[in-house]
Amino acid sequence: MEKIIEVKNLTKKYGDFTAVDNISFDVLEGETFGILGPNGAGKTTTLEMLEGLKGITAGQAFVAGLDVAAQAKKVKAVIGTQLQSSSFFDGLNLKELLETFAALYNRKIDALQILESVQLLEKSKSRVKELSGGQKQRLSIAAALVNDPKILFLDEPTTGLDPQARRNLWELVENIKRQGKTIVLTTHYMEEAEVLCDRIAIMDRAKIVAMDTTKNLLQMAGNDANIDFRTGFGIRHEVFAGLPGLIKLEGSESEWQIVSNDPQATLASLFNWSRENNVNIFDLRLRQATMEDVFLKLTGHDLRE
Amino acid sequence: MYTLKVLTISSMKMFVRNKQAIFFTLFTPLIIMGIFGLIGFDRIPKTRIGLALDAPPTSGTSQFVEEIKKISVFEVSVNAEWQERKALENDERSVVFIIPHDLLPQAGILPQAKTVKALLNTGEQQQAQTAVSVINQVLNQTMLRLTGTPQLLNLQVEELNVRNLKYIDFLVPGIVALAVMQMSVFSVGFIFTDYKEKGILKRLLATPMEPIHFVTANVITRLLVSVVQTAFLIAVGVLIFKAHVIGSYWLLLLITIIGAVMFLGLGFTISGIASTVESVPAIANLIVFPMLFLGGTFFPLETMPNWLQTFARYLPLTYFSESLRMVMTKGAEIGDIRTNLIWMIGWAVALVFLANLTFSFEGKRQG
Repeated sequence: MEKIIEVKNLTKKYGDFTAVDNISFDVLEGETFGILGPNGAGKTTTLEMLEGLKGITAGQAFVAGLDVAAQAKKVKAVIGTQLQSSSFFDGLNLKELLETFAALYNRKIDALQILESVQLLEKSKSRVKELSGGQKQRLSIAAALVNDPKILFLDEPTTGLDPQARRNLWELVENIKRQGKTIVLTTHYMEEAEVLCDRIAIMDRAKIVAMDTTKNLLQMAGNDANIDFRTGFGIRHEVFAGLPGLIKLEGSESEWQIVSNDPQATLASLFNWSRENNVNIFDLRLRQATMEDVFLKLTGHDLRE
Repeated sequence: MYTLKVLTISSMKMFVRNKQAIFFTLFTPLIIMGIFGLIGFDRIPKTRIGLALDAPPTSGTSQFVEEIKKISVFEVSVNAEWQERKALENDERSVVFIIPHDLLPQAGILPQAKTVKALLNTGEQQQAQTAVSVINQVLNQTMLRLTGTPQLLNLQVEELNVRNLKYIDFLVPGIVALAVMQMSVFSVGFIFTDYKEKGILKRLLATPMEPIHFVTANVITRLLVSVVQTAFLIAVGVLIFKAHVIGSYWLLLLITIIGAVMFLGLGFTISGIASTVESVPAIANLIVFPMLFLGGTFFPLETMPNWLQTFARYLPLTYFSESLRMVMTKGAEIGDIRTNLIWMIGWAVALVFLANLTFSFEGKRQG
């Protein structure tokens, strides 16, 4: 696949403060690329430089073959942008609003069709202030689609939404992805990055600390899984010592914690033993490595700090 | 062009749908016109005069009193001397005349020399003096009639002020200028600060649109609104308050447009300075409020002390309301108001320049 975005040694400074420090990455056509990191890591600044909204201090960025620094206007014409907190005019209804936005690209559109694609058709006569948080975000994505962009930039599209609205928006992003559009999104939700992104760049303190496919990054934390459970009565240590895939066994009597490199095999044996010996297993908990662990391992601090 | 057309239509829709903006644009000036029009500052208050008689008057004297009562600019009361003196002390009379009851004798008896004494209210010198000379006139004429002297000299009065200009004629152009100023300053000040604060301008910058197109669309909308305001307020002034429009409507249109451009520049300057919507009225009123009273809206500049006149003379609103007034009430042509127009254009250029310096789509926080 072709590179549709090329970022080389991109840097943004505000006086002495470096918001983005010499980062480089490529985005391939048709993929969904995530920039994951805590607040203040420089995600938004990176995105806004690519969108032509912020000046570039050093380095280069090419979007759809265009040098962003020199041809910002042309870049803006081929991308769709959703800003982190964008409001819209209150005096227009959604249909009029999208038509007005299309006019900014010198285009005439079927606004109702776009509203339908983001499940806002029945709100076409409503004003922005009558929408819920999730609906506002969907409108914001609709506004980013009026020019039928090659690349869609989404800046924290689900921040502040409830879980239901978040899942709803993920579905929408998946749909857009299926149309073959390239999507670049920022998020500080690990789950979101895991669900939506083909590749992820992890950003922390103005730098990219890791970049790979989602699958490979998850493997960085290892395949290890934690299995915690309780038994109905005291069991001797040796009983569990022989479980397949076992790396570490802790606990005594009825409280047990296992670390396994093959959770499937470990659990299968555990259940067999339980059935054969008529020992009930309570409070079974399985926790596999997530991006959260990857982040912790890479940066030495928690994502939500 | 397509972009500009759609943006202009959208911005008009937004203006018309904003009930608050419509209220302040059309109804507030209408209410102000109504209130000041009804007060009618051109009704001169009547001069209150008191007539004091020392005893029941003779029939000739009674006639004389009746003659005075007929004079429409006087509000006449007849009482005993002590009552009238008290009324004068209480500032209820401009002047009190003490009239002997036998000032004019019965018919057939020759009049004797008598004295009418006038007590003047020093606080109302002007009205009192006028009343004294009028009464003197009435006395002379009565005397001439009594002595049978033929009247050789006559003063014939004819009303010739055909335009019959009243306070409302002064007021309407003032209100028009005021309304256009308020609309231009506040609708831009509030709305663009709101757009800036909410990030709407930044969102627009993420499209390939030229910011000047967005500004132009909003300016066109407001220029149209200012023309509607002018037409509406003049129509109400003429139809309801019987104001006069003598000069050219095209010239009024030109003045309105230049006036609106001037104050739109001020509006954009204010939204450039203001960082939140809350700070807009504070900044705007600081500039607009003094002009409201000093800009020749309600009262002629000549009523102000000289030092204040020198200052008020140069205010943008003064040039605006004066130009409109000269065209409406005096039928002035473009050459007659040349100086005013040049000053208005000067203000417009200066304020638009200032707007360019202070206002930008990106705001101050962006890098």
